[in-house]
Amino acid sequence: MDFLTESLRAALALILTLDAEVVGAVWTSLYTSVAGILLAAAVGIPVGTLIGVGRFTGRRAVLTLLNTLMALPTVVVGLVIYGFLSRQGPLGALGLLFTPVAMIIGQTVLSAPIVANYTVAAVAGADPRIMTTALTLGAGRLRAAWQLLLEVRFGVMAAVVAGFGRVIAEVGVAMMLGGNIRGYTRTMTTAIALETSKGEFAFGLALGLVLMTVALIVNLFLNLLQQR
Amino acid sequence: MDPILALHNLEYRRGDQFTLNIGQLDFQPGRIYLLAGPNGAGKSTLLQLLGLLLPPDRGEIRFAGTVVQGGAHRQRLRRQVTLVEQSPFMFDGTVYDNLAFGLRLRDVRGDLQRHRILSALEKVGLQGFESRQARLLSGGETRRVALARAMVLRPKVLLLDEPTAGLDRDSLPLFESCLAALPGEGVTVIISTHDADQSRRLRGEVLRLEAGRLISPETVESAITYRAVKGSF
Repeated sequence: MDFLTESLRAALALILTLDAEVVGAVWTSLYTSVAGILLAAAVGIPVGTLIGVGRFTGRRAVLTLLNTLMALPTVVVGLVIYGFLSRQGPLGALGLLFTPVAMIIGQTVLSAPIVANYTVAAVAGADPRIMTTALTLGAGRLRAAWQLLLEVRFGVMAAVVAGFGRVIAEVGVAMMLGGNIRGYTRTMTTAIALETSKGEFAFGLALGLVLMTVALIVNLFLNLLQQR
Repeated sequence: MDPILALHNLEYRRGDQFTLNIGQLDFQPGRIYLLAGPNGAGKSTLLQLLGLLLPPDRGEIRFAGTVVQGGAHRQRLRRQVTLVEQSPFMFDGTVYDNLAFGLRLRDVRGDLQRHRILSALEKVGLQGFESRQARLLSGGETRRVALARAMVLRPKVLLLDEPTAGLDRDSLPLFESCLAALPGEGVTVIISTHDADQSRRLRGEVLRLEAGRLISPETVESAITYRAVKGSF
């Protein structure tokens, strides 16, 4: 019990004194996750809208594929992208492996299906009169779709927040594509895994507390949006 | 003069259950038409086709003599035809925002936009309503805002799907006086209705649909006779 109490005390000290390593890992986690989710939103929201309002052959198959992609293990995503970015891979010449950019790519791939799926649900559940009203008032299909997104904005924001929740807490992609390089690609999750295995439990606990706080804020925000 | 809207050999299928089939039907500018017929006759579908919201499966729709094509052409023409649905949808925001939506798309902004919106609200008896939240209005007020939202665009053709169904007695005369004034401004008004007396009040031409087919264009007088014989509209 003393071990846990002592570790917790040390962890809180690391957080409160803004330990450089802790802050560095938190910062890397936050900026790669934010960049990843923004890119995922740029792809996932239009795709989700298209699938949500569209009536086309194969729509059910596309939805099944999206659901499958949503449940992809993070290490599988990491593995596939590793194949593309590794020195022998088709994009190896870009030298992106073990950089924050590689992590952002991985997190985009990981969260885009989540954003798309949540957007499909928000759009498909919207009042069907939104598009017709916009069209009959003179909007083109693109403008009408934009109006639809504005009307279901809380659902779409929930999609983005859910995606962010997934990427901030994942470890597979960050580890495989970032390489857990200290001060460069080390995130909260990869640092927790490494430092704990090295016996630095207090350090891992400090990051764990920060991560749990972020997760709590994300979930509170998500609940708030889903109530709207 | 070219009809403002003309249908020629038009066919529209909805599943295996329903087909709208109209050989020839012309709508002249500046007149009021009333679509009558039982539920499921195809009145709302015809309005959606006339509003260029649905493409026909066969046949053609002409707007002011021009055959309506797909894509951008349809969209451009749609700016001259506005449909007020039976149960109008209000966008999230104020009454003003709702009326400004179509005007912004037509690049009407600033003082001109404000003037047109306030004037349209006054016409439907809702002066002072511009700052109200549109979703918090009563059913009757929502219908009147929807009418104002359509009129403010000054369309060449105004389509209304059972606009007065469920409207309170006090609002009805004002609503109908707005509609009756539109032909004087060159607007063609096409209304689907179950209200038998509306044709007399609005002095419109009655078009009767049954099972997706046009029975016959009727004058107001013949519609009244028809009603007297059949006992219903």
